[in-house]
Amino acid sequence: MSILFRIVKLTWRYNVRLVLAYVTFALSIGFALAIPWILGEAIDSLVVTQDGRISPVSNIRDVRVDLLGIFQTSLWGLAGALLAASLLRGLFDFARTYASDSLAQKVAYDMRNLMYDKLQHLSFAFHDKEHTGNLYSKATSDVEAVRRFVMMGMVRSIEVVARVVAIGIILALLHWQLALLSLVFLPFLVGRSTTVLLKLRVLWLHAQEVMGELTTILQENLSGIHVVKAFASEEHEKKKYDRIAQQLREEYFVNEVTMGTNSAWVTLYFTLALGFIMWFGGLQVIWGHLSAGDLTKFVLYMGQLVFPIRMSAFVIATFSRAISSGERIYDVLDARSAVEEKPGAQDMGRVEGQVRFDNVSFSYDRDTPALKDVNIDVPQGSVVALLGAPGSGKSTIVNLLPRFYAVTSGQITIDGIDIQDFTLGSLRRNVGIVQQDVYLFSATVKDNIGYGAPGASSEDVIQAAKVAQLHDQIMELPFGYDTWVGERGATLSGGQRQRLSIARTILIDPPVLILDDSTSSVDVETERQIHRAMTEVIKGRTTFVIAHRLSSVREADVILVLKDGRIVEQGNHDELMTLGGSYKDIYELQLRPQEEVLLDATFTGDDGGDS
Amino acid sequence: MRGGHFGGGFGGMLGGMRGLQAGGMNSPTLDNLSDDGIVGSAYDHKVVMRLGTYVKPYRKDALLSLAAVLVYTAANVAIPLMLMLGINNFINDGNRNGLHLIAVGFLIVILIHFASNYYQFVWMPRVGQGILYTLRTEMFNHLQTLSPSFFHRTAVGRIMSRSSSDVHQLQEMFELIVQSFGDMLSLVGIVLAMLIIDWRLALLTMSVMPVLFLILSYWQRFARRSFIRIRRAIAMVNGEYNQNITGVRVVESLNRQDENLEHFDELNYEHLDANMQASRYSGGLQPVVEILTGLSMGALIVLGGSMVVGSTLEWGVMVAFAMWIQRFFEPIRHLTMQYSQLQRAMAAGVRIFELLDLRPEVNDADDAIDMPPIKGDVKYEGVSFQYVQDVDVLKDINLHFSPGETVALVGPTGAGKSTFVTLLSRFADVTEGTIKVDDHDIRDVKRLSLVGQMSMVLQEPFLFSGTVKENIRYNHEDASDEDVMAAAKAVGAHEFIMALDGKYDNVLAERGSNLSIGQRQLLSFARAVVGDPRIIVLDEATASIDTHTEILIQNALKEVLKGRTSIVIAHRLSTIRNADKIVVLQGGRVMEVGKHEELLAKKGVYARLYAINYGLRTDGAPEAAGTNGVAVPAVGDND
Repeated sequence: MSILFRIVKLTWRYNVRLVLAYVTFALSIGFALAIPWILGEAIDSLVVTQDGRISPVSNIRDVRVDLLGIFQTSLWGLAGALLAASLLRGLFDFARTYASDSLAQKVAYDMRNLMYDKLQHLSFAFHDKEHTGNLYSKATSDVEAVRRFVMMGMVRSIEVVARVVAIGIILALLHWQLALLSLVFLPFLVGRSTTVLLKLRVLWLHAQEVMGELTTILQENLSGIHVVKAFASEEHEKKKYDRIAQQLREEYFVNEVTMGTNSAWVTLYFTLALGFIMWFGGLQVIWGHLSAGDLTKFVLYMGQLVFPIRMSAFVIATFSRAISSGERIYDVLDARSAVEEKPGAQDMGRVEGQVRFDNVSFSYDRDTPALKDVNIDVPQGSVVALLGAPGSGKSTIVNLLPRFYAVTSGQITIDGIDIQDFTLGSLRRNVGIVQQDVYLFSATVKDNIGYGAPGASSEDVIQAAKVAQLHDQIMELPFGYDTWVGERGATLSGGQRQRLSIARTILIDPPVLILDDSTSSVDVETERQIHRAMTEVIKGRTTFVIAHRLSSVREADVILVLKDGRIVEQGNHDELMTLGGSYKDIYELQLRPQEEVLLDATFTGDDGGDS
Repeated sequence: MRGGHFGGGFGGMLGGMRGLQAGGMNSPTLDNLSDDGIVGSAYDHKVVMRLGTYVKPYRKDALLSLAAVLVYTAANVAIPLMLMLGINNFINDGNRNGLHLIAVGFLIVILIHFASNYYQFVWMPRVGQGILYTLRTEMFNHLQTLSPSFFHRTAVGRIMSRSSSDVHQLQEMFELIVQSFGDMLSLVGIVLAMLIIDWRLALLTMSVMPVLFLILSYWQRFARRSFIRIRRAIAMVNGEYNQNITGVRVVESLNRQDENLEHFDELNYEHLDANMQASRYSGGLQPVVEILTGLSMGALIVLGGSMVVGSTLEWGVMVAFAMWIQRFFEPIRHLTMQYSQLQRAMAAGVRIFELLDLRPEVNDADDAIDMPPIKGDVKYEGVSFQYVQDVDVLKDINLHFSPGETVALVGPTGAGKSTFVTLLSRFADVTEGTIKVDDHDIRDVKRLSLVGQMSMVLQEPFLFSGTVKENIRYNHEDASDEDVMAAAKAVGAHEFIMALDGKYDNVLAERGSNLSIGQRQLLSFARAVVGDPRIIVLDEATASIDTHTEILIQNALKEVLKGRTSIVIAHRLSTIRNADKIVVLQGGRVMEVGKHEELLAKKGVYARLYAINYGLRTDGAPEAAGTNGVAVPAVGDND
């Protein structure tokens, strides 16, 4: 319930609209209720009851209607009153629709912006845990559920209650016994609808899960279509899909039948009540306890109840959906980012680039430490190579530096100041990272390179591309720098993407640079281009390289060998070779064979002479 | 009540299709199909007729529900009629017995009304869901027949949106039809009943209808525009969301939050504004409908009233008319509101059928036979292949591999190495020449029976949701747990699997992301050998893994290749050197064939490639590739 309260609080920002929605609602209901009344009055003025027989008045001039006991009027006046009531009802309906729709839309708009901004400020730790698909659906369909709640649940729920109460009172005033008898089933009806609804909610959630399963199969099938083809497993896939598709059909079927048959039951109640009114009310008319016009009113008022009662089921549904959707949304909005800025954090300016790790420990979850007591001191402008098996903590070290994650204990300083004392924005302008997994936005090449520097001129972009050894290949694209890439654009090769990422990073000209150089899925020529680009960009910057290639390792000023989150060896190539520890092992295991090949090949090359 | 909203426009309609490098293929792609943003008419005859053919298997239920709807409509119209009869004939005359009688009649009508209403909701969903089920599976099955080049050109998101959100649109339409069909019929019934009971009064009360239709058709134009605007706007909002979530790491590392929020706010505001406009339009219809209803009722009071006084009309008729008028306008307004839903559904139908109409490029011949157990003899005879006309990817390839041979394919990027191996698995058919396995032209046998005896390890390890065991077994459902374990042991995956929670029953995270890429590749190696294939293809299988795991796989490789005809695209020198045969491809032609030493001695293309990659450095500095030697000739052959 506190979730609903929070949503309601959100709508209170637009309290004028909210109040307007309620007021116009009440007025529109009021005028809607006037219509059967007027018709009933008309009938009463047209007929007289004598000796249990009802006959029309003999002269049109005798038709005088005493409307609400206020004024007397003729049939024309009555028609006019009815028209006026309809007109006012229509106008207030319009105002009500607009007020409640726009209120709901504005709340949804606010929520979308909040979600969007929150998501791009949460730390990597949060994004590691959440599936992108899930976040996407929170931002879309859950926000939609909240919007529906504001529109239907908050505003419409009042309509249902108000109408039922108002009509109940009117009917009771007309003939309380008949009213009681025709409305007696109402509570049962509402009870039944509510139970069905709760059942439907469970059914619906279940159907959604099956739907999710089906989508997953489809998505995996499409993404893994090469595997499917390579193993000729089409039949296997079809069977897998068909099984869930059948299940889904059943789920949906049960849902629809439950929903549909419930509405049949609701309708049955009203038609029964109608029949009862005709029979019992008819007897009352015959006995003279009820006028013909009042009977008409009964019939027409019952008709006005059908819609809100059917509606109530949906209205209640919006409540339960809003609770679960609201929870999902506030999970995100309430998430505390591990790397929040300190109050009074200062702008970093442009640093020199001297980096220190003092006893830094870090764990992704509480139990398993990913880094233990790491101490590094990197002078400005030097190159650090990180070496180690997957999971040894190489990526963790470099991800702590721009504060994508927060250290668990210890301290990281740049130019002697704790990085936690700086604003995140200024820190990340100083620490650039070229990630292994390069994400391209659906935009032009130019926009992608200039992504982190929106103010950059075309010349700057071209210059960065040149340094990254990408310029020539961009010029070969159909529209050069204006070529659209990303989701629906041109496809760039792995090597091109990586160099684009390099260009993107050096455009912000960071004094501290992190390079993740672990792709091996590029060909020799590309490999060279990347290497050339890297050599170019690390000049004058403090650089951390996650290295898999001997060249990067050997050129480094310091090599850090990591194992299980600890630095086990530290030094340059020659020092570490002399040490004869892990580095030497890795060298022997992975690199020496290549050294031999190198020699071998060199000889062959020499033998070849002309090659 | 509908929960799942499949982000319409997930595929993102940001920007256009500019500069598509992949253009000009002769394979079908969705790119030349209608855009996801198209908004068609609310009624498309072709789509409706074609959907109609899907009703066939559910003919019985369809007829039953049609009957139910008809009965329901009749009962629906009859209720005010009964009321009128009761009033006119019995209440007026004070005839109590008659009233009892008509009450019983009323009760019967009510029960019929209920039963037909109830069963229409049982039979109709069966038809609707049945059709959707058929469409879903038909689309999925059809996708399985399309060639990989189709998937290469077409973003997964776009196919996904066709097979899930478009079907979802149709589903909503079916629900709408179930809802509105009864309404429509009732409308007809009401008009008929009114005309029969009193045509003068009927014509008078209905005289407002032309006005309503005029206003509606005028209104429609604006409303439609604003609905289209909403659709575009929400697609932009969702696309931006999707992009920002997927690219969040780049966003945060490049400090782009403020600009992004500003941009998003623009899109979000446009969406808000479009919706406000739409709600003004849809709300604006309300006073119009109310006034017209009021006019009808007013006319009923004045004219009907005068007629009652003149004794030419009984007051019960007035009551019935009042009820009918109440029921009259609601369905019309309802249908108008759903107009945009119909439009969307029709557009969805067009897109679905477009997908279903794509012709698969590789089909089994009608007289194709089952491939007998393969020995592993492979022949390429005069094979040429073109994706685009007149551009040869492979040209006149003549090769013969004996059973059990290990063949290494070597050549620069774009030489046609990947194409070479995919032709063997019939991802596509050769343009010229023949490929024979054990002297059977591979086009003469059923693809499944051939490829089922082969396997492949691709560059990117791809795992499905499920357990480790299920992934290794994959489509070899007959493989026992022992077979699975033996396969894992053979490729050196057993040890790490035993260290997982639940071991072979460990449930993998999405795409196996709880495993390292190397471990994932080990599993795909195990998957490749579990069926004991006679021919195995490794397409850059070790390219995307770290050097650490690569060592591990190297050891497994010997085991994998042993006793099988193996075609390997690799960059590991040791793999290439140990091959029985090295085939050097360049520009789609076979340049050289032979063993490592032979080829080196030949001092041709191979020797040169070898020297470039392992030996000669242009600038004297240790080259990245050279020193580590991980990369010989090339990847990215998937041009």
